Amino acid sequence: MNIYVKELRSHRKSLIFWCIGVFLMVVSGMAKYTGLSSSGESLNDLFTDMPKSLQVIMGIGTFDLNKASGFYGLLYIYLLLMGTIHAAMLGATILAKEERDKTSEFLFVKPVSRTKIITAKLLAAVTNIVIFNLVTWISSIEVVGKYAEGEAVNGDIAITMIGMLFLQLLFMVIGSAISALKKRPKTAGSLAAGILLLTFVLSVAIDLNESIKFLKYVTPFKYFEAKNMMYGGGFDSGFVVLTIILFAALTAVTYVFYKKRDLNV
Amino acid sequence: MNVIEIKNLTKTYGKSRGISDISFNVEEGEIFGFIGPNGAGKSTTIRTLLSLIYPTSGSATIFGKDCIQFAPEIKREIGYLPSEVFYYDNMKVKDLLKYSASFYKKDCSKRMKELAEIMDLDLNKKIDDLSLGNKKKVGIVQGLLHEPKLIILDEPTSGLDPLMQQKFFELLEEENKKGATILFSSHILSEVQRLCNRVAIIKEGKIVTVEKISTLKENNYKKFKVETKVPLNKEYFNLSGVNNVAVKDNTTSFLFKGDINTIMKKIAAIDITNLWIEEPDLEEIFMHYYEKEPRKL
Repeated sequence: MNIYVKELRSHRKSLIFWCIGVFLMVVSGMAKYTGLSSSGESLNDLFTDMPKSLQVIMGIGTFDLNKASGFYGLLYIYLLLMGTIHAAMLGATILAKEERDKTSEFLFVKPVSRTKIITAKLLAAVTNIVIFNLVTWISSIEVVGKYAEGEAVNGDIAITMIGMLFLQLLFMVIGSAISALKKRPKTAGSLAAGILLLTFVLSVAIDLNESIKFLKYVTPFKYFEAKNMMYGGGFDSGFVVLTIILFAALTAVTYVFYKKRDLNV
Repeated sequence: MNVIEIKNLTKTYGKSRGISDISFNVEEGEIFGFIGPNGAGKSTTIRTLLSLIYPTSGSATIFGKDCIQFAPEIKREIGYLPSEVFYYDNMKVKDLLKYSASFYKKDCSKRMKELAEIMDLDLNKKIDDLSLGNKKKVGIVQGLLHEPKLIILDEPTSGLDPLMQQKFFELLEEENKKGATILFSSHILSEVQRLCNRVAIIKEGKIVTVEKISTLKENNYKKFKVETKVPLNKEYFNLSGVNNVAVKDNTTSFLFKGDINTIMKKIAAIDITNLWIEEPDLEEIFMHYYEKEPRKL
C-alpha cells in the first residue's frame, strides 16, 4: 500500500501535464473542425481530392468529416497515440526507475517481496492510465458535444475510449515486460516508445498497402480502430481476446523475469 | 548461534568481477569485519545476502533461513547501509524516513528523532540539497530506525567527517551492546581494528582468511630495535624466532616471533642505551594479503 501511494505521488505531476496535454489536444483538434466547417466548402470534397496515401496518413479513411463525430474519429488516432505513449513509458519506467535512480538498494532491501513491489507499481500505473483515459473521455464528451449540434456522439466516444483503455493497458505491460527482460533497464522507456512507433507506422503501412493486411495482428493499432468501432461497428471479439491474451502473457513475463533477474546495483 | 552462514557462495558475471566459493559465518552479537581492497567482492557478497542479486551457486542463510527463499521475512530484522546512498531526490528527509519506516510493523518515529539528533541531521531538508556526508547520515538513520537485529554496513564511513565517524561508531557499539550483530565491510583497516572482533579478508573474490583481530596480531612478528654503545656482533641474536637481523653502527634491528621472555632476557644481558619494540600495525599484516599475486606469464 505504501509503495502504491508513493508511486501515485511521484507520478502526480507528470500525470497532470499529460492530462492537460490531452485536453488541449481535444480542444484544439475540434477547434479545427469549426474552422474548416464554417468555411462553407464541404470538407468531404476537400479531402477526397487528396491522394489516397495522404488520406491514409492523416487517418481520414471513411469518416464523414462534415459531422462532428467523423472529425472526432479523425482526432481519435492522435488521442490514442498520446494515451499509448504515456502508458508504454509509464509501464517501462515505473519498474526501471529504481535501477536508473539507484534507489533499488533502498526499496529492495525492505521486507517486501519483489512480487508485491511489482503489483503495487503496476496498480499505480493502471490508476494513472485510467485517470488519463477518463480525462480524455470527459474532455471528448464535453468538447465534441459542443460541436455536435444534436448528433449523438457519446456512444461513439464511449466505445473508442474503452478501446483506448485496452491499448493503454497493453502498451503498459509491453513497457513493463521490456524493463523486466532487459539487463540494462535504463533504456527500457525509449525501447518501449520505439516499439510503439514501429507498430504505429506498420498500421499506416497496412492501410496503404492491401497486400500486407495479414500483419494486422502484429500491430495493436489495428485492434481498435475508430472507423471499425464507431457507428455501431463495436468491438471485434477476436481482437479483444487477442489483447487479453497478450496482456496476460506480458504481465506474466513481467513478474517471472523481474523476480528472477539480478538488479542493476 | 550463527546469524549469517555463507556456504560456497559463488557469483560470476562477466569475466573478472564476482566472487567464488565464499564461506564464512557471523556469530550472534559480534561485530564482524569484512575487509579487502576495492573490487574484491565485498559489495557483491553483501548484495547476494540481501537477494538484490542471485548467486550462481552456493547458498547463504540469515537467522537460520535461506536468504532468497525467506528474503522478505528476514529483511524485517536487517538494517542496511549501502556504500553509495541514493534516494528519491524530490522527497524531504522526513518523508523519506517515514516512507522507510512504513515498511516495518512498528512505530519508529521516536527512534527516528533520536537518531537524527545524534547524527545532527536536519529532517526538513530536501534530499536533493544534501551533501554527500549528509546523505550518508540519512542512510544511517534509515538503516537503524527500525532497531534491526542484524546491521549490514557497506563502507559506511566514506563521506563522514571524523567527528561524525566517531559518533557513528559509538552508535554502532551501543546497538551492539543491545544485542545487534554487525557485518562491517570496509577497506579502511583502522576502523575495522577499532570496532571488530573478527574479520574475514577477501581478495580478488576469494576469502583469504577468517581470523580474530587479536590472533592476527598475536601471530605476527614484533619489530625490535636495540641501540648499544658499541656495535653488536651479528651473531648475538642468533636464536630461533629471530629474523632479518641488521646491524648498522650502534643499532641492531630484527623481527621476532615467539616467547617474548627469551628475547627480553637476551637483551637484558647486554648494556643498551635505547630500545624500541614495535607492534606491527594491521596495515603491515594485511599488506601481504592485499598485494596482488604476480601475473603468471
